[in-house]
Amino acid sequence: MFKKFDDKENISTVQQLKSSVQKGIRTKLVELYPLLEGYIDTILPKKENFRIVKCHEHIEILINSSGEQLFFRQREGQWLPCLKLLHKYPFFLPSEQVDKGAIKFVLSGANIMCPGLTSPGALLTSVDKGTTVAVMAEGKNHALAVGITLLSTDDIIKINKGVGIENCHYLNDGLWQMKPIK
Amino acid sequence: MENSKTTILRNRPQPNVTYPLKVIYCGHCTLPVEYCEYYPEYDRCKLWLQQNLPAEFEKLISISGGIDDENSEEKKRQKRGGKGMIKTKKKEGPKQICVSRATRGKKKSVTVVTGLNSFGIDLKIAAKFFGTKFACGSSVVGDDEIVIQGDVKDDLFEIIPEKWSEIDEDFIEDLGDLKR
Ligand SMILES: [Zn+2]
Repeated sequence: MFKKFDDKENISTVQQLKSSVQKGIRTKLVELYPLLEGYIDTILPKKENFRIVKCHEHIEILINSSGEQLFFRQREGQWLPCLKLLHKYPFFLPSEQVDKGAIKFVLSGANIMCPGLTSPGALLTSVDKGTTVAVMAEGKNHALAVGITLLSTDDIIKINKGVGIENCHYLNDGLWQMKPIK
Repeated sequence: MENSKTTILRNRPQPNVTYPLKVIYCGHCTLPVEYCEYYPEYDRCKLWLQQNLPAEFEKLISISGGIDDENSEEKKRQKRGGKGMIKTKKKEGPKQICVSRATRGKKKSVTVVTGLNSFGIDLKIAAKFFGTKFACGSSVVGDDEIVIQGDVKDDLFEIIPEKWSEIDEDFIEDLGDLKR
């Protein structure tokens, strides 16, 4: 999603949100990620104004008052956390671990293939198809990508071929490199 | 299936841990330091770590082996398609020096150097330096261009990195002969 993203070229507008809309997003996020409930006020303080950055290809990025990127989505899909936020609260997504050999492919933006998720260095958390997951790596402590499962983990193991997780945002992609927006 | 490695446990906030966690990011490549080994300019990452976070640097060195290990492991395991290339971050403006040769009259040529500005080098001082070094005329033209009288292009690849250690030879691009 952000492989070729460039914050200078791909941003259309930055929109201030009405408080009712802010409230709606906050509720939605807790619904999506129940484990965030105790932390949502720290991430999105009620008194602060957060904004939405509208970008090309129907991408929206939710930013806080100091301009840090928090969540993003495409075409009104579900909100996915930005990696910097996920690193701060690593528990709120189920994690799927790829083996060491897959790391450099994930970091170059490739989708996560099933064999990289079923080999000896990999580790799966059981989830359904269409789940937002943190992509972790063998021997590393921090997530290297955020993705959506295209198969349930059961099918990833059973089929063991093709793409298992769509790589939506990874370390060093355009969103990662985006500067805070004032 | 031998690979029934699904764990049923979902993530939870860990007791005795306060969130938000503080992750250490590399000042050179911006990734969490544990991923520096995958960055094409790993050497510079290491340099940054060594200078700014010596403790982390020690840790990294002691567990390293990292990517080399992985390559040999990969040979044993399976071939993966694709290149697996990690892009380096975009520079603030193109940080590059270009040198070219241009003819002047029938027999004489001049050497044009552009881009020194992007390294924060004072052009006047640089022009003076080239003039003394090559014992010839050298002047600043425009906002980031130095014209040296004479064909000294090949020498520049040695002399520039020697004078300004922050400029590696790889940053200097040879544009060949240009018409002015
Ligand atoms: Zn680094």
